[in-house]
Amino acid sequence: MIKIQNVTKKFGTQKALDDLTLEIEKGCAYGLLGSNGAGKSTLLRLLSGIYIQEGGSITIDDQPIYDNPQLKEKIFFVSDDTAQFTGMTLLQMKNFVKTFYKTYNEEVFNSLWEILKLPMDKKLSDFSKGMRRQAVVICGLSACTEYLLLDEAFDGLDPAMRYAVKQMLIDAIIDRGVTVIISSHNLKEIEEFCDTVGLIHEGKVIFSRELDSVKGNIHKVQTSFEKELGIEDFADCKDIEILSIKTSGSVSALVIKGSNEDIEKAMESKNARFCDIIPLSLEEIFIYEMKGAGYDYEIN
Amino acid sequence: MFAIHISGGTPISEQLFTHVSELIISGALKENEKLPAVREVAKELAINPNTVQKVYQLLEQKGFTYSLPGKGSYVKGRADYQDELRQSATWDFTAAVTKALKKGLNTEDLINIIKKIGEKE
Repeated sequence: MIKIQNVTKKFGTQKALDDLTLEIEKGCAYGLLGSNGAGKSTLLRLLSGIYIQEGGSITIDDQPIYDNPQLKEKIFFVSDDTAQFTGMTLLQMKNFVKTFYKTYNEEVFNSLWEILKLPMDKKLSDFSKGMRRQAVVICGLSACTEYLLLDEAFDGLDPAMRYAVKQMLIDAIIDRGVTVIISSHNLKEIEEFCDTVGLIHEGKVIFSRELDSVKGNIHKVQTSFEKELGIEDFADCKDIEILSIKTSGSVSALVIKGSNEDIEKAMESKNARFCDIIPLSLEEIFIYEMKGAGYDYEIN
Repeated sequence: MFAIHISGGTPISEQLFTHVSELIISGALKENEKLPAVREVAKELAINPNTVQKVYQLLEQKGFTYSLPGKGSYVKGRADYQDELRQSATWDFTAAVTKALKKGLNTEDLINIIKKIGEKE
């Protein structure tokens, strides 16, 4: 279990992380979401012990990560820019990783290499961005660490490359129970691949929950009432929370926090003529949660 | 293999569960047929294997499948998931009746339709 407690990280006077608290369970596929500058990369770097925080604590299985080589051996971080390896060839990078990770497995590397067959003795600076990232991911997976951190995991990868990387990650999750933490802008991919998601904004956590429970608890409702209703008219429905109501003619579209059953009951209590409950995409949930936390995102 | 188009919205576990249980109910997947391995399904659909595992567990819980340790999940016979089947059929029928009533049919119209279908069977 990764425990991030009241962590603050500053760069000069700029607060990248602001009293942030988060828990990540072992064995999950965690999707870290947030807009640019939200603090995702900073968080991943703190998790891999690259940075040290100004305040709070970060522990993995109750041990602090910073300056802890034994714990660091359990974590592999794939940065969003792979600049640090560009002077090397894939062979050199592989050997470099081998030196640092006792759990490195040559067989795993070979079987992964078979899938992509990237050139072994070409400098990584000569690779395309996508190939470079794939190369680092292969080395990371071969290190067979308990935790794999991927910053902007699928960025710069074409659909075929993305598919290939996902295949490798899936095998690793099944074979080793690796905990994968992915930060991404691509909500669709996080939606498909991760079981738990956390949304970070301006250095704080907006929410962190299992994806199924996030989706099960917020819905879009298409319905029609006898007369136009506003949010205040639902004040007596204690089990749900109306986030927005838009009425056009006699049809209303609502966004409601609550379970299917509670929503149906509430709609019935207001004599709704019909009630169509539709799930929200992760993107829409992102926007509504941000609005709920007081950040102004334009919703059309 | 499961030809399912994953769309954003309903949780993937729900989409997959609905798809596989429908295949079983319709008889497309036969009694004692082995379901593809969790790894295979996860890789084919490029989704989290824990999600597939969850769906397989739910299928077993609801009586659609049984598992043999070390071997995998297998489809159960219709008699074993009768309750689920009845519930599912009742749900579908209720939805259809409600819609028809809203569109202007009355109870007599509906009974006539049922009779007609019954005669054909």
